[in-house]
Amino acid sequence: MKKFYLFAAVLLVVFAMVLAACGGGGGGEEGPIKIGALFDLTGPTADVGTPYANGEKGFVEWLNAKGGINGRQVELVGQDYAYKVDQAEQLYSQYVNQDKVVAFLGWGTGDTEALRGKIAKDKIPFMSASYSINLAKLDEAPYNFLVGTTYSDQMIIALKWVMDDAAKKGVDPKVVVFHHDSPFGESPVPDGKKFADDNGFAYTNIAMPKGATDLTPQLTQAQDFGVNYVVIQNVSSGAALLLKNAKSLGLTDNVQFICLNWCADELFIKLSEGAGEGVLGVMPFTSDFTVPGAKDPAEFLKSKGDSLENQGLHYVQGWWTAATMVEGIKRTLDAGKDINDGANIRASLEAMKNFSTGDVTKPITFSPTDHRGNDSAKIHQVQNGQWVPITDYLQSRIPVE
Amino acid sequence: MECGIFHSTYEKDMALRHTPIEKARLALVILFLLIFPFVADNYWLNLANTIGVVAIGAIGLNILTGFTGQISLGQGAFLAVGAYVAALMSIHWGAPMWLTIPSGAIATALIGAIFGIPSLRLKGLYLAIATLAAQEIIIWVITHWDAVTGGVDALNTKNYLWFGGENHYFSEFQFYWIIMGLAVVVTLLTVNIFRTRIGRAFIAIRDQDIAAEVMGIDLFRYKMLAFATSSFFVGIAGALIAHWRQIVTWERFTIEVSIFYLAVIIIGGLGSVSGSIYGAIFMVMLPAILNNIGKALSGVIPTMDILIPFVQQAVFGLVIILFLVFEPEGIAKMWKNIRDYFRLWPFSY
Repeated sequence: MKKFYLFAAVLLVVFAMVLAACGGGGGGEEGPIKIGALFDLTGPTADVGTPYANGEKGFVEWLNAKGGINGRQVELVGQDYAYKVDQAEQLYSQYVNQDKVVAFLGWGTGDTEALRGKIAKDKIPFMSASYSINLAKLDEAPYNFLVGTTYSDQMIIALKWVMDDAAKKGVDPKVVVFHHDSPFGESPVPDGKKFADDNGFAYTNIAMPKGATDLTPQLTQAQDFGVNYVVIQNVSSGAALLLKNAKSLGLTDNVQFICLNWCADELFIKLSEGAGEGVLGVMPFTSDFTVPGAKDPAEFLKSKGDSLENQGLHYVQGWWTAATMVEGIKRTLDAGKDINDGANIRASLEAMKNFSTGDVTKPITFSPTDHRGNDSAKIHQVQNGQWVPITDYLQSRIPVE
Repeated sequence: MECGIFHSTYEKDMALRHTPIEKARLALVILFLLIFPFVADNYWLNLANTIGVVAIGAIGLNILTGFTGQISLGQGAFLAVGAYVAALMSIHWGAPMWLTIPSGAIATALIGAIFGIPSLRLKGLYLAIATLAAQEIIIWVITHWDAVTGGVDALNTKNYLWFGGENHYFSEFQFYWIIMGLAVVVTLLTVNIFRTRIGRAFIAIRDQDIAAEVMGIDLFRYKMLAFATSSFFVGIAGALIAHWRQIVTWERFTIEVSIFYLAVIIIGGLGSVSGSIYGAIFMVMLPAILNNIGKALSGVIPTMDILIPFVQQAVFGLVIILFLVFEPEGIAKMWKNIRDYFRLWPFSY
């Protein structure tokens, strides 16, 4: 019977801790302004999810040290959800119903798409790190806002560059899209297909299986297709693996690889160990840390004994996403409106015109008819282990079906 | 069997509950289920609904794995069949929920029976691999049959009450009654299956299939029946997920889900209906509890914050291992031991 007492004791302790944890209760009128958040710190996109989450947390800490929003502190209520949809739903439900958060910063495509109905019902302004065009459909996702250029628009920007480049070289473009095997990865594939069909060039897509340690079979498939341009819609670790395999196949010499935003980062350069040289990146968020918008994050990190070079551009991306949401809340308060009604924050965001992110992105503009705050990206290239811009801002805003 | 209880009629012998205490306990549980939704907020209702759905799916799997001894790694895909059938019927035909849920269940039962065919030849680990194939094939079909399933894109399920009705938005509170109602029906049905010839045949197959065949049990028929019955209930759970979450994506039905359900029934208790329910409660509540502890601890030691999610996952694994070490027969057995202890308390042998 002894083990039962042991078990009962363990269970009692656990429940006591839970009760203590649940005792907090919702925020009062003058308490901190609560913003919910979902992070991927342990799941399949944790490589880029961790610096992004750090950026969101860093911004809130920096803001609170400066006095918060009009003197009120901001509390970021956020946890790791390991890229699991069920876990995201549970945490979302807890933060909205128990913590009474007024706005939300999300992460993945699958979970944001799964939550959009609830988000609309609860009227919670939501900014995800997913730039899937499905989240720009106002009838389905009226409370979702996109700070980054949609994956579909990034794809069009990449394909337009491909067409120009192929014309210069006098070849017919044959484009293969390598993508994460998920809604995130597939998101820009159909719009790219439509663009390729309209412009009459060859285009196909190949999924990169989850947890793959060798992508040679997929690359061979692309070789059989006669590929000369590859667009990658994956996170850095997957893209780096693809490039390393491509280099050992000798593909990198005559095929131009192009990363969309989630693999166009410092981590990709580091992980690809030289194989990433010459790769292009479609980057809505800059990797140049001399711009004014990178000053505050850089100084904040320095005071913490860290550096922006260590955290990378996704830190700045998370920082400015949180900053955009906070700006919406601030404008709502300034207008004397109640921030507990999400419709008010949505209205403030929809009225936001040319909100400057200090050249981290093109200025953010939302409108009541389009929640895509950004429609531009600069194409960068890896030169001597650094991302260097090779174009100015290129723009695309395809219609949302 | 407890001492001091004598059955003088066959009806009494077959009763599910023998003593007044057992009946009182059941009444308390029912009372709790009835009062709970009125005092709980949406977060707790969400957890309760998750438990309800997992319990239905786990009871289904337990019929196959716990009672009939046929291991299945295809649970996730069978849930997907129920969910996709229900979602597609509601989207394309405007079919009401009272039609889509049973249809999803029947479709899953058929698919389950088909994938159960190898069980006639295969046992143990070999059958596990065959059902793993079911998992992979079904998910592959779903993600690649774009014309029907929409591929990797999510489907938005519609909740109709009647043909041509309006898409009805259910609150967690309203869905609580649908899910718990169905959970009660599934529990009662399953408990009763094992008081019939079919249920006893399932158990005979699990205990020794050759002996069962010698006794006159048609192995093929009963194994198929086990797969179909099990999948039927799993299909109900799948269809419920489709309507409750109103969004269906293949990401929710991966191999991890199959393993999760196996963990539910192993921890709850193989071959026990109540064990499936305990397992569902445990496996849904444990991560939620760990999350809340992690949330409470964050900020206490700032440098530890980044470690909390990893510690949470390690603790999750550790707790499961400890449970299995201390009581390999699951929570159902643990609960029985506690009952037995108090039955004789304070004068134990």
